[in-house]
Amino acid sequence: MNKIPESLNEALQYLKEGTYDVLAGGTDIMLKNRGYAEAPVPFKKNMLYIFNLDELRYIATHDEHIAIGAVTSYASMLRHPDVPDILKRSIRQIAGPALRHVATLAGNIGNASPSADGVLVLYLLDARIILASADGEREVPIEDVITGPGKHTIRPEEMIKEIRLPRRTFSNTFFKKVGARKADAISKTSLAGAARLHDNVVEELRIAIGAVNVTVVRDRSIEASFKGLTLEDLKARVDEVAAAYDSLIRPIDDQRSNARYRKQVSFNLIEAFIRQL
Amino acid sequence: MAEVTFTLNGEEVTVDKPLNMRFLDVLRTTLDLTGAKEGCGEGECGACAVLLDGRIVDTCILPLASVAGRDIVTIEGYRTTERFQVLQNAFVKEGAVQCGICIPGMIIAAESLLSENPDPSDDAIRTALSGNLCRCTGYNMIIAAIRRAAKEGEGLW
Amino acid sequence: MKNISKSIDKVDAHEKIAGETAYISDIKREDMVYAMTLRSPVASGTIRNITLPTLPEGYAAVGPEDIPGRNLVTMIYEDWPVFPEKRVNYIGEPLMLLLGPDKERLASLLDAVEVDIEEDTPVLDYSHSGVHLHYEKGDSDKAFADADRIIEETYTTGYQEQAYIEPQGFVGYIEDETYTVIGSIQCPYYVHEAVKVTLDETDENVRVLQAPVGGAFGGKEEFPSVMATQLAVALKKIKRPIKMIYEREEDMVSTTKRHPSKTTIRAAVKDGRITGMTSHIGIDGGAYIGLSEVVLSRGMLAATNAYTIEHLDVDGDVYLTNTVPNGAFRGFGAPQMIYAIEMFMHHAAKELGEDPFSFRKAHMVKQGDWTSTGGKFRDPILLDEMIEKAADISDYHKKRKAYEDENVYKGIGMSWFFHGCGFTGSGEQHIIKSRVEVEKDAQDTVYIHVAAVDMGQGPKTTLRKIVADVLDLPIERVIFDYPDTHRVPDSGPTVASRTAMIVGGLLARAAKTLKETWREGEAQKVEKRYQQPDYVEWDGECMKGDAYPAYSWGVNVVEVEVDKHTYEIDVKDVYSVYDLGKAIDERIVLGQADGGQAQGVAYGYLEVMSRENGRLKQTNMTDYIIPTAMDMPKTDNHLIDNPYPYGPYGAKGGGELTLVGGAPAVAQAIEQAVGRRVRDIPATPEYLMELIHNG
Ligand SMILES: Cc1cc2nc3c(=O)[nH]c(=O)nc-3n(C[C@H](O)[C@H](O)[C@H](O)COP(=O)(O)OP(=O)(O)OC[C@H]3O[C@@H](n4cnc5c(N)ncnc54)[C@H](O)[C@@H]3O)c2cc1C
Ligand code: FES
Ligand code: FES
Repeated sequence: MNKIPESLNEALQYLKEGTYDVLAGGTDIMLKNRGYAEAPVPFKKNMLYIFNLDELRYIATHDEHIAIGAVTSYASMLRHPDVPDILKRSIRQIAGPALRHVATLAGNIGNASPSADGVLVLYLLDARIILASADGEREVPIEDVITGPGKHTIRPEEMIKEIRLPRRTFSNTFFKKVGARKADAISKTSLAGAARLHDNVVEELRIAIGAVNVTVVRDRSIEASFKGLTLEDLKARVDEVAAAYDSLIRPIDDQRSNARYRKQVSFNLIEAFIRQL
Repeated sequence: MAEVTFTLNGEEVTVDKPLNMRFLDVLRTTLDLTGAKEGCGEGECGACAVLLDGRIVDTCILPLASVAGRDIVTIEGYRTTERFQVLQNAFVKEGAVQCGICIPGMIIAAESLLSENPDPSDDAIRTALSGNLCRCTGYNMIIAAIRRAAKEGEGLW
Repeated sequence: MKNISKSIDKVDAHEKIAGETAYISDIKREDMVYAMTLRSPVASGTIRNITLPTLPEGYAAVGPEDIPGRNLVTMIYEDWPVFPEKRVNYIGEPLMLLLGPDKERLASLLDAVEVDIEEDTPVLDYSHSGVHLHYEKGDSDKAFADADRIIEETYTTGYQEQAYIEPQGFVGYIEDETYTVIGSIQCPYYVHEAVKVTLDETDENVRVLQAPVGGAFGGKEEFPSVMATQLAVALKKIKRPIKMIYEREEDMVSTTKRHPSKTTIRAAVKDGRITGMTSHIGIDGGAYIGLSEVVLSRGMLAATNAYTIEHLDVDGDVYLTNTVPNGAFRGFGAPQMIYAIEMFMHHAAKELGEDPFSFRKAHMVKQGDWTSTGGKFRDPILLDEMIEKAADISDYHKKRKAYEDENVYKGIGMSWFFHGCGFTGSGEQHIIKSRVEVEKDAQDTVYIHVAAVDMGQGPKTTLRKIVADVLDLPIERVIFDYPDTHRVPDSGPTVASRTAMIVGGLLARAAKTLKETWREGEAQKVEKRYQQPDYVEWDGECMKGDAYPAYSWGVNVVEVEVDKHTYEIDVKDVYSVYDLGKAIDERIVLGQADGGQAQGVAYGYLEVMSRENGRLKQTNMTDYIIPTAMDMPKTDNHLIDNPYPYGPYGAKGGGELTLVGGAPAVAQAIEQAVGRRVRDIPATPEYLMELIHNG
């Protein structure tokens, strides 16, 4: 049976006892199961409708992190002062206003698409996901939640309760989404970057690239290799930086773009990010 | 089937329909409110837009379950307001209407924008309309109409 | 006389804004069933067998065996079956209809149908010509023999989908033993004729009503006849009201689009001037010819656009492929050809080391010149003035120079162009034979009876305005209802930029007669039929003479900036100047300008539809990209008066004109921004990347 739970506990109880798909904003799952006009949506499983689960609609600022409840809409995130600017930049480019009023980051994770724009920034920011079940909670880094296109490690009895963004300041951030038009477009490729510099020396450099592999690309060992470089050194070696990602940038041809373009643009964006530091 | 109660154009209504009906179909077929149109059926065009708690949403990708307890205003409800009169007049005067199929959705988008930002810049208007496709007008006259409504309706939003 | 161009409120705007207008999908009938379409999963094959599930009570299937009349849809060229009997020719081709009261049930029945088709190899390239046309002027062989230089280039254009926001749809029912269909259509009488022939019924037993149309752009010109005939066959079989509304994806997969094309132009150059030209334009017709021959011919007639070339040889082919049939789309063949010739003139100048602007101007047509087909440009041509105006408002020359800098990724492009008004050649006289009526009742209320359709372009307002103005009545006293073939004569289809000029012209004449014979408080009726201006001479066989009675003219300037990291194109500004004789309502025309330009510019850089093995890759509004409000820049559009003596108040056509120059203007701007020659459109970021990296 389909359910509209009134509390998180009730929701988790359903998940424990039956098999459900969770529907938050529904903007993704409604389409994946699209049927015909004037007929009910032919979902494959029973549905757990959590859009009105107000308990999970919150943004809370803690010392170490910002906590975003699973049914918080993108629009509310845009309005909140503590939501990191780079996440806002990404959200502003997700679909249009109507969708941003209902869609959620949790749904963006559940969607597990390599071109998901919110997820790109979650990778960049080392987000941690709180997965809750009737038996308790676990906190998992974003890259361990998503494993491939449409694939994730959320167990059938679990759901996303919260997204935690560590509070961290960067000297410089970069976000570029490349879609077919200026709004309302799925990413052909995308890149988010962040850097912490101290006295002109790289303390930390992060790069996340979307839509070029089965998941968002982020490689900590490559990033570590830039640590300690002076900015001049880094810029002088910009080609090497791009080359380091070569084997990870494995895009495909599809109805939106082609592999050659995605690859070239990813390289160009890595370069653009480094050059603007 | 399940009973879902919500506020529709100021009145409480209860419908007994599968929770997985698209809200657009509930409006158009069950409730006979055909002001929201189906243009794409996939959240892309905004023809099916209504206000949910005062903000624009696309009903073709909104299941009936999601409106439980919420406040919904469709163009049929909105057209009884003074704000609508101002928008309608501005749309007429600026020649913003061609085939008209996108226009109820544009009005909803305009209300959603103006209620948050009564004095929007052109860029803010373009952003607010970016999920509403119009194939006839090239948008400029719609943008001019919203600018005009913001001015003529000063104080209303 | 008042100034007719002064804008009034559009008569149908209030109710559309309020959501009160009932479009086709808003119409319901008592005891109605839905129709869903079973479609071919393969591009080419022979049907072995279609096995239906057991249909519950109240459900029915309708296929070719149910057709009482002829199994070909009546249109200009007749090769399109209502339902194919054996051969299937494209993916998405409708094979039969399933009908029933419950959508969910119907969907599961549709899924349960087993279609057994013996597949064969589809034709997907330009190898099977279904129509070949040719015309010539002067002696191009000699021009080429005498040339000191020959320049040749080839251009391609992609599909363009009309992407009207309202998908195609019909509601049908039987009333007083009359087969009645209401639809979102441009041409009530096309549908009427097609249904009549398919059902083998009389004129009176078929009735077609136009519902308010939620966008058409040519897409609802001939295709609705296909859908309506199918629905009518079902109506005759099950005798219950039927509603048939396409889902977006279904609409995209199975309805007509703008023909992809490939055009090769060769020019003979002597002393720095083009003396002769040969062109070949090939368009992809898809599986059936339908309207393609006429589209081809309009394209070919634009072979030299607004240039005078003395010696000319023009060939064209419609190629048949196993893909969805292509058809009418605002511009009708002209956008493909005008794109090619505008780019060619630009590139030819570059080849010759000349300044493109001056080179193009040196070849420009003047009043009194021969047209490409040896007709005459009789009326004043104000292009010089228009170009100057466009250059002025856009600061074209200064920007053009500034953007030459290699490090600046900006560009500005200018196109100028014409569009022939009305049907090609003597089509109005011999094929359409337009008839209109103006009637008045005993209360002196006046009624316009024409089959012209308002699909947003405004005739509900402009035609009333014309009649009211001639009769000197307030517009409220002139009624123009949605066309109904039982009540209005055949004033022709709503196509080819003919409504204001031809239908409006006839109405003005009818109104004038009514005024002259006006008898207060008495019912009166005046009918007028189209009469070709005496000067028009056209030989359709040889494509010789005056292809059109009149031409509208335009200039577009487009400015872009290209992102050097992502090759994304940012359209900055659009400027335009148009001569469409006289605007019947200025704001309506400016609205046409904004909308037409949006489609025309987007055709050049944004809208991608491609296919793989006969299957379209972009089949919904998420993947088929049309501009949003953020993509379309502000525009600065101007109209100049150049009244045409035979048009009402001097009006010519304007609906299509505003689209045809967008693509070459944006392509030239992009070309300047990236410093590489653009030959193929849409000039996407992917294409620009290849140009930049591979020359
Ligand atoms: C027109 C359109 C444009 C779009 N544009 C973009 C875009 O530009 N960028 C982009 O990234 N995406 C885009 N999307 C995709 C989608 O809207 C987003 O991914 C959105 O974030 C999904 O959120 P939702 O709440 O609507 O998800 P839903 O549809 O409710 O859910 C999506 C998936 O996540 C699961 N899920 C949801 N919540 C939870 C939870 N709490 N716990 C466990 N699983 C959960 C669901 O079961 C489902 O599998 C677009 C979609 C549409 C229709
Ligand atoms: S019909 Fe809902 S967004 Fe297009
Ligand atoms: S007016 Fe026709 S789609 Fe907007």
